[in-house]
Amino acid sequence: MVQDNSRQHCLTAYLKENAHLAPAIQGPRDLDPRAIDAALTGTPFAGQMHHFPTIGSTNTHALEQARNGAPHGSFYVADEQTAGRGRGGHHWHSNAGDGLYVSVLLRPQINTSGLIWIPLITGLAAHRAIEKTTGLIADLRWPNDLLMGPRKTGGILVESQLESDRVNAVIIGIGINLHQQSFPPDLATPATSFDLELKKHAVDTTDNIASRQLLLIHLLIALHEELLALNSATTAANIPARISAISTWVKGRSVHVHGPQECTGITAGLDDHGFLQVRTESGLVRITTGGLRDAAG
Amino acid sequence: MKSDDLDQLRELVAFLKENDVAEFDLDRGELKVRLKFASAVVQPAAPVGNAGLDLAAMARLLQAAPAVPAAASAPIAAPVAGAASTPATAPVAEENLHIVKSPMVGTFYESPSPGSAAFVSTGDRIEKGQIVCIVEAMKLMNEIEADAAGEIVKRLVTNGQPVEYGQPLFAIRTA
Repeated sequence: MVQDNSRQHCLTAYLKENAHLAPAIQGPRDLDPRAIDAALTGTPFAGQMHHFPTIGSTNTHALEQARNGAPHGSFYVADEQTAGRGRGGHHWHSNAGDGLYVSVLLRPQINTSGLIWIPLITGLAAHRAIEKTTGLIADLRWPNDLLMGPRKTGGILVESQLESDRVNAVIIGIGINLHQQSFPPDLATPATSFDLELKKHAVDTTDNIASRQLLLIHLLIALHEELLALNSATTAANIPARISAISTWVKGRSVHVHGPQECTGITAGLDDHGFLQVRTESGLVRITTGGLRDAAG
Repeated sequence: MKSDDLDQLRELVAFLKENDVAEFDLDRGELKVRLKFASAVVQPAAPVGNAGLDLAAMARLLQAAPAVPAAASAPIAAPVAGAASTPATAPVAEENLHIVKSPMVGTFYESPSPGSAAFVSTGDRIEKGQIVCIVEAMKLMNEIEADAAGEIVKRLVTNGQPVEYGQPLFAIRTA
């Protein structure tokens, strides 16, 4: 275990400073709709929370609601997902209240060229929300996995409904591990939670003040800020550089790309559209679709 | 033009001719293609032939554009003295094909998840707004809805294939 007193102090201060936003009356893992609405005032998400003790998949539910005409800003939180989904049918491990599982429904005034930024800005928003909530700094594994060192602490899956170039609805699904104390050993990427990470820094997590509610609030506010910034062409153009600044994966890393564009090589930065470039033996490949792992050996 | 593009273009041209499509526009950013065929009713006086298109044939197709307005053929056909000499050609010429294009760069998937049934198959009748496929880019899964109702007559890409902006995905007979 790494003993770092200044880091511990910093993290504890972060958590205490935010404690007023954590629910006081209910248990630390509960969600208080009134406090959440108050904190989200001025965003499209105020008054739009739908909370489920258990659900198959928040994304599947949100997609159905989108087809039924649910409004922009609706979001669906579950304590537990029994059929949580990731890219390519990957399943997400979740128990009641241990993680934040939320799907956000947007009906943004953008076309498909703006839509392509949504997965990346969601990663940026989650990165900022995690730091604000816990003091922990997440790594971003392109396009938007959230990692603590080699371990995965969160994932994002965006789904949209398109008709020609028109965006009917966008569903942003986010799963983040907070309180899990252990994980199954057979996960493709080993997992971690905030509690496990904070313990490494000797932060006392018994009162669970790194709360799910606080993370939810910070996440939605950060997402709101990112979406506003997307309306400006100049800030949109900065997105690849902002990803590069906080990710150890996008430049100079030896990776294996899995998925339809499977290849192995050295990452060579993001292009102007946020696609990952990988220098392989047969030349520079532009990855539009796929996931990354460290190359073996 | 890359040889991949040319291959795709060949396939597309063959398909369009096969289905008597009079006009076709494609805009993929860098690549713009506009095809106008001599009307199917007039029928290939100088057919391209089954041996396949070469670059010269392609250039002919691109330049030819004989400016036969598709709409003109129908009214003219009617008053031709009611002779029994033009039986079954008219219905073929009336065929109306709509092309569903990819709205973005990414990967084409025919089904919602690996191993599950395809959203649509050739021969299916579909409604406007019905999901026909998914195009994925950067863990953004886009459900592509048909922007016209009709019958799927051809899928123009394969499952898992990379697609470009504006690339034709399906042909739908709307009539």
